[in-house]
Amino acid sequence: MTEEELLFGLRNKEEAAFKELVSLYQDRVFNTALGFLQNQSDAEDISQEVFIQVYRSIHQFKEESLLSTWVYRITTTKCLDHLRSRKRKKRFGFITSLFGEDNKPVYEPQDFNHPGVLQENKEDASQLFKLVNELPENQRKAFILNKVEELSYKEIAEILQTSEAAVDSLLQRAKQNLREKINKLPP
Amino acid sequence: MEVNKADKILNSLNGLKKAEAPDFFYTRLMGRMQHEMEPVKRPFFQLRPLLVTSALVLLLVVNVFSVMQLNKPSGKIKTRPIEKSATIESFAEAYNLNTTSVYE
Repeated sequence: MTEEELLFGLRNKEEAAFKELVSLYQDRVFNTALGFLQNQSDAEDISQEVFIQVYRSIHQFKEESLLSTWVYRITTTKCLDHLRSRKRKKRFGFITSLFGEDNKPVYEPQDFNHPGVLQENKEDASQLFKLVNELPENQRKAFILNKVEELSYKEIAEILQTSEAAVDSLLQRAKQNLREKINKLPP
Repeated sequence: MEVNKADKILNSLNGLKKAEAPDFFYTRLMGRMQHEMEPVKRPFFQLRPLLVTSALVLLLVVNVFSVMQLNKPSGKIKTRPIEKSATIESFAEAYNLNTTSVYE
């Protein structure tokens, strides 16, 4: 099925087209979401939301970019929205716990081990993922799309709607920031 | 030494194998979509926010109006019971409906 046929089918709400879309993109969407959210269950949940969003708003896709670019864009937006809402809940949970209204445990990120990391790198990668969470949003997007999803500068530039030079700059700054954070870690 | 540590951590994602979506992802997705797209059956009394807001505003207006009317120092309101009783008496008289009991 060509991209044109796929889009035609999606616009006509054909199940075969939707199934094809999911089979083409489910791994890419899930891997990206996992990089951002660092939690299997959240990543699956957000991946489902991405496909539901694509299904609902396919008529808004103007074909100014590739379908994959648009899907990645929705994925990164959904992931960052989810992280913001997680942060808000955590903050709100802290405030309510101060007033003794609710002492339920607030979501605390566990050490994350990406299933695709080489065995000998697991500990370092876990530490790196934790530090990536502290990066500014755009640097985080560029870093995850490049390091976890292995996208080229050109693809990242299209997703972030910026230039390749800007992506290079984002990645340099991300690495610089991470290096500084690593150097501050206790030995 | 520090530089080596930083490089080691920064390079720890080299050779990363991409994660794959869990088994039955499509089936679960379809289940969720069917669930989300089912029309929600609301009981008749469960109204939409717009209707609830309108009803509350109307209730408030009626309340305010009632309070204003009650607090209004109007002569009309005070004389009304007298007028009313006079009307009832004249009505009873006209139709010979006196309240005296037949046993008297």
